[in-house]
Amino acid sequence: MEDSDNADDEDGSMQNRAIVTPGELVTDDPVWMKGHGTYYLENRTYSSVAGTVSRVNRLLSVIPIRGRYQPETGDHIVGRITEVGQKRWKVDIGAKQDAVLMLGSVNLPGGVLRRKNEADELQMRNFLKEGDLLNAEVQSLFQDGSASLHTRSLKYGKLRDGVFLKVPSSLVVRSKYHSHELPGGVSVILGVNGYVWLRKTSDLQQQQSASHVGKDAAALSTRGNYSVGNASVTITRLEEESSWEIYSDVNDQISQSIRETITRYANCIKILAYCEIGITLERVTACYEASMAYDEAGKLIDREVMESIGDDVITAEKYRG
Amino acid sequence: MDGRRWNELRRFQCRINTHPNSADGSSFVEQGNSKVVCIVEGPMEPPSRSQLSATEATLNISLNVTPFSSIDRKRRNKNERRIQEIITSLKRTFEQSIITDKYPRTTISITCHVLTLDGGLISAVTNSITLALIDAGIAMYDYISSVSAGFYDNTPLLDLNQLEENDLSYLTIGIVGKSEKLALLILENKIPLDKLEGVLAIAVAGGHRIRDMMDKEVRRHGELRLSKLANK
Amino acid sequence: MAKGIETSANEKAFIIDALTQGVRTDGRKLDEYRDVKISLGSQYGSVDVTMGETRVLCRISSEIVAPYEDRPFEGLFTVSTEISPMASPMFEQGRQSDDELLITRTVEKAVRRSNALDLESLCIIAGAKCWSIRADVHLLNYDGGFIDASCIAVMTALQHYKKQDITVSGEQVLVHDFSERSPVGLSILHVPICVTFAFFNPHGVEQNIKGDAKEIYVVDPNMQEELLKHGILTVTINKNREVCQVSKAGGLPMDALTLMECSHKAFTIAEKLTNDIKKLIEEDDLQRKGSQWKMLSASNDR
Repeated sequence: MEDSDNADDEDGSMQNRAIVTPGELVTDDPVWMKGHGTYYLENRTYSSVAGTVSRVNRLLSVIPIRGRYQPETGDHIVGRITEVGQKRWKVDIGAKQDAVLMLGSVNLPGGVLRRKNEADELQMRNFLKEGDLLNAEVQSLFQDGSASLHTRSLKYGKLRDGVFLKVPSSLVVRSKYHSHELPGGVSVILGVNGYVWLRKTSDLQQQQSASHVGKDAAALSTRGNYSVGNASVTITRLEEESSWEIYSDVNDQISQSIRETITRYANCIKILAYCEIGITLERVTACYEASMAYDEAGKLIDREVMESIGDDVITAEKYRG
Repeated sequence: MDGRRWNELRRFQCRINTHPNSADGSSFVEQGNSKVVCIVEGPMEPPSRSQLSATEATLNISLNVTPFSSIDRKRRNKNERRIQEIITSLKRTFEQSIITDKYPRTTISITCHVLTLDGGLISAVTNSITLALIDAGIAMYDYISSVSAGFYDNTPLLDLNQLEENDLSYLTIGIVGKSEKLALLILENKIPLDKLEGVLAIAVAGGHRIRDMMDKEVRRHGELRLSKLANK
Repeated sequence: MAKGIETSANEKAFIIDALTQGVRTDGRKLDEYRDVKISLGSQYGSVDVTMGETRVLCRISSEIVAPYEDRPFEGLFTVSTEISPMASPMFEQGRQSDDELLITRTVEKAVRRSNALDLESLCIIAGAKCWSIRADVHLLNYDGGFIDASCIAVMTALQHYKKQDITVSGEQVLVHDFSERSPVGLSILHVPICVTFAFFNPHGVEQNIKGDAKEIYVVDPNMQEELLKHGILTVTINKNREVCQVSKAGGLPMDALTLMECSHKAFTIAEKLTNDIKKLIEEDDLQRKGSQWKMLSASNDR
């Protein structure tokens, strides 16, 4: 957190990890630029939140200890639709304000390069309606700090076949990939905003053969009542994915054992959150392995069990280095 | 009189982040026998469009004085004028101390529950809101610490309990940080003009002491947090 | 405060700039109270107060009721304030806004909680009968300073009011008509006067909290100043140098020393107003006595 501290630290009183509280004088040196979490009068900079001081080059900011998720461009997040509006959806992403998902930034049935027409606008609720969960990427930020999302990739879109979890956003470590396949036929999407989706690994992911996909999708797409998407002949995989099926509300068949695995993973993530351990793929896997000592996933919600597994994960990590 | 000296505060205890899973910020303040829980949610998308302000955050405060909080067990009406007045005063106070223009188009909702009441209602509630806001990571200019002070027989008294409040005239102040600026001042009974200054002076001093105690708790909690994050 | 009445940014800047130079848009000095015109009605306890454009009407009425069970020795006194759209379009019919609530509460606190009226003197038979005094305050026109004006109106009206005389014989209470016995005044313990100060912060908030810039304060703000204010303070004080009530409901933080300064200013204003009211009441009394004498002497003539 504080690794951005560099040689600029000539002020002895401002040590690493020093906590500042609102109204406290951070520095009276005019060279600093004032960043987030501060306010200033003439040359004096004061903190406006309780947190740690961070210095990046000449930018001085205070990072609050707790706070809501602050979106950044490129973040992979999980969100929930709260409102369907004019050419846009409003998405709750656990930030200060709801994010927007423009109709133009989603893949619609009938190919990516298709223009969005009025018919699409009218049946937006058929694609995504209030309460639907989706994963998306932050496309850009508005002036007031709210985010604009897009789902223009295979990875993104509506979520099904699984369960939703919420953890403090500060615990999700930003990394290159946020969607992972876990052992046991389960995939996880660790949204940077602290929203997590655990699901059965889809057949598409498992068997990448194009022909199989073609058949499968054709079978599934009959469930939809959207005719244009079905009529177009599917050639590329991208178009395949863009078909009506990706907006389906119907879950696949999920076996009992996979359901149990999902529950176990869900409890594992809860354990990590409870012990305030940063959540990464490795730790989720390690935690899952440690949890195998308890034969029933339901036992994992015991406080003592949670603590002991949390400790196990940490010590195992230290041991490995 | 409970054996305190005239300038002594009652036992002041506070904790922050008491409800980490259910709210963005939470606090618990114990001032003598008065206990207040405060929960802050937000900044978040406002529940209705009409509450939205394009330039700054809107503040919603609700104050619940539980029927079991005082001896008479009277069920208090939520819309009681006195409560409404306190809410309005608190709202005006915190609108000035939160940097509201950092959170445009959002709502910050604050809920306070008074569990037991033994004098100093406004001051305990104010202190708990300050702590909960800090816990929620909401940008504020400074702490608002609040304390009541009364006046009896030429002696100013600090931090009155319920019995003292019933019989003496007293005032409640809210101070900004370590300064002598008053964000809130409520006086409801008679105090001779020439004594006012003395009462204010001890109230300001008491407010600064409360600020220091709140600051200590925030730091203690912050350090605990950081040590946990170090495992990351 | 209100929808519909907004001052443009330029006008706002102009007014606040002028204030920093010590000039108010209506030509008053910063600490100058508006002239208060009080006119007494023909009946006891009806008073019309005018302060600048603000106009408030207060009427006192009384009846005999049973006292509260927990306070058998005290009479009842209620103040009800009526703020209607007639005064200014910014007040809405029916719904009470935060500001209106605050205004009503402050007036009530200033007059009632400070025990301006001796409630024990209203008791007729302990636990059974007492006088209930009711003050109805109507805001006829609004141009700031409603709290101040209504407080003056209520206090003047209370001093002016005279209720019917009574005789108690056992459980029976006989109420005498005005013509039968001369009516008696209420016993007023002290006369609280409200003085409102509006605060303006010509600099940024940062400057106010951390810097040493002083905020500007203005006595008895008019409507425009009240709309632009950053903070408001109402001090209620009486002639005996007793502060009865101070309310500063949030708003701009201010210095404790400024507060003391304001209270002292308020005291001088209150002292002057109290004397004015007293003089007025005495004059009116004399006049009424005079006419009564005339009536009596007229009957003697016959």
